[in-house]
Amino acid sequence: MIKVDANKCLGCVSCSNVCPSQNITRIDTPEKRSIHWKRCKEECDLCVEFCPAKALTLVPFDEVSPEPNVSFDLVTCKICQSHYATEPMLKRIESVLPANLQLDSTGLAWIWVCPVCRRNIEAERATKQIILGRSRKSP
Amino acid sequence: MPVYVDISRCIGCRSCEVACKRVHGGSSHVNVHMVRDQASVPVFCHHCEEASCTLACFTQALHKAGERTAFDVEKCTGCGLCQLACPFGVVWTDKIAHKCDLCEGKDTPTCILTCPANALSTDFELAAARARARAARVAAYGGRR
Repeated sequence: MIKVDANKCLGCVSCSNVCPSQNITRIDTPEKRSIHWKRCKEECDLCVEFCPAKALTLVPFDEVSPEPNVSFDLVTCKICQSHYATEPMLKRIESVLPANLQLDSTGLAWIWVCPVCRRNIEAERATKQIILGRSRKSP
Repeated sequence: MPVYVDISRCIGCRSCEVACKRVHGGSSHVNVHMVRDQASVPVFCHHCEEASCTLACFTQALHKAGERTAFDVEKCTGCGLCQLACPFGVVWTDKIAHKCDLCEGKDTPTCILTCPANALSTDFELAAARARARAARVAAYGGRR
């Protein structure tokens, strides 16, 4: 059976992806992500090994303790307001990246912007570069 | 050695996207963005020197191999941290991560071979020369008027 430290869990999808018996289910709604661990009798500890936060531990099977369940509100993108990630995941990214990488050249804290908007910003930036070079007189 | 893009040559045909899909089992690692009616911009992985995705990856599935940011599918758990760590939004995950591997094993990435407008290259000197020429045009003739 798996014991979950809800304070450490990032709400990522690692454990539910690696579980060979589909004992970990993830339910994503537009604004919330819930993860549920079924009471499993397996001795396998793949999810424990592949938890980035070391939030899981293998404990002996018993029939009384409740099945662990955690849920997270998804963070909204600063630009498009779409829900795109759990807060602990973004906090983790903040903690592993050096401070100089966390702001782009315009001072935007891009971690709190969704990947789709990040791509749009990159495309806009590239466009600005070339329209400056377009001139009626240029050969 | 990333794929350098000369946006002023890009015609927005999405051939690079299709070529990438073809060689990577149906998932494209390139996104061609249409920016209003002004330009089409293929957004590529930059293979950053200090790559955020490799720093975020806890299994070292994403790692630096020389100038390339390489990806080892065997180690990927699909956790999604790399997707959130990419400043350009060019890494994405479903059950595993998907990102440009510069067509590992091939001499030239397929997108470059496919581009009909010659907008893509891995040649730094060529990309730098084109950028210098563009900057010189702006200096000589001014910006758009």
